[in-house]
Amino acid sequence: MTIVIGFEGSANKIGIGIIRDGEVLSNPRRTYITPPGQGFLPSDTARHHRAVILTVLKEALEQAGLKPADIDCVAFTKGPGMGSPLVTVALVARTVAQLWGKPLLGVNHCIGHIEMGRLITQADNPTVLYVSGGNTQVIAYSERRYRIFGETIDIAVGNCLDRFARVIKISNDPSPGYNIEQMAKKGSQYVELPYTVKGMDVSFSGITSYIEEAAHKMISSGQCSAEDLCFSLQETVFSMLVEITERAMAHCGSGEVLIVGGVGCNLRLQEMMGVMCEERNAKLFATDERFCIDNGAMIAQAGWEMFRSGQVTELEDSWITQRYRTDEVEVTWRD
Amino acid sequence: MAATDREMNPESEKLQFRLDVPFPSPRDASIALGSLSPDREPRKGGIDKQLMVTDRTLTVRWSADEARILRVSVDSFLDNLSLVLETMQMFAPPASQ
Repeated sequence: MTIVIGFEGSANKIGIGIIRDGEVLSNPRRTYITPPGQGFLPSDTARHHRAVILTVLKEALEQAGLKPADIDCVAFTKGPGMGSPLVTVALVARTVAQLWGKPLLGVNHCIGHIEMGRLITQADNPTVLYVSGGNTQVIAYSERRYRIFGETIDIAVGNCLDRFARVIKISNDPSPGYNIEQMAKKGSQYVELPYTVKGMDVSFSGITSYIEEAAHKMISSGQCSAEDLCFSLQETVFSMLVEITERAMAHCGSGEVLIVGGVGCNLRLQEMMGVMCEERNAKLFATDERFCIDNGAMIAQAGWEMFRSGQVTELEDSWITQRYRTDEVEVTWRD
Repeated sequence: MAATDREMNPESEKLQFRLDVPFPSPRDASIALGSLSPDREPRKGGIDKQLMVTDRTLTVRWSADEARILRVSVDSFLDNLSLVLETMQMFAPPASQ
């Protein structure tokens, strides 16, 4: 029996989760939500995490019905992500690991998403689409590495959506992407927007600057509504993602797709991906908002795999890093 | 206990700052060191920070080119130290300390 506690706080969500041999015992989380029109900055985010992290830690232990002595390993997000929030979380993880005398494990955030997706959906060997506010990658496992087949060459798809939400000043509660999704359902007019796929990769900065510039003009002139733009933006960016996912599947001869990351909650994206999968006789896997959105249990799960395959992070190597490629990690727990 | 030395060292002309933090025990001081030392300074240049433990005191020494760089680093360190202390108080094993 192996029990791992995982700490996650690389963006505006702070979550601590406990996993025992594939069972999620607890997974409390808090989100730092900014007023409409504002994004979240590193120092404010770190301050938010600092204020709640110890309470969330207590909740994680209480909800799991465990004492510190029951924990076998302390896992935390080493990167990638925002600097000061990552530090805040790492400080608490390092401190409790030393206090409780438990080994420490620095986990790659992207791999946390992948391993949680694999655990929850039991997908065998899928092509993974990892889409969030901070990351957009198409990943496939091969010979001890999660290889990046395609990715954004500039900003993440979630970043594009979040920035558009700021332009039209919609609420960030529970998340800007969720509110764009709800508004998109009421859109009736498709507005042509720049579509940018470059081989295996995608680019979102062009469509972002286009829509940031054009939105107010188009809405105030009555050409279209904000709902129409939400709808059109989703249709365009999601089509791009489906295209590069399909391309990777064709290269790998893969029959499974797994969507992870916060943008993976979006039901329209799941629907569009589902259509492509059906056309290829492939299966689509996705998780719900408990595990799509950044959470502590996903770090615990990746930590569980790493720990059981013999990995450990020494204190002096436990520094956080804002840049951490998914393929930098040796996946010792798979063949 | 903090000591500020504005040493105008002819060689480096750097600003120096030293912080001594006493802990209830040597183990506590070394835990704090373990938590606070791994991360590099976010700023690439203009600041140097050294941490060490002697008995039950954590000593931090800064050397910076400019006052505002020093201030940001010290400020940030104090926030981090405070979080580590709070964590130690809340989650220390029941038997000791």
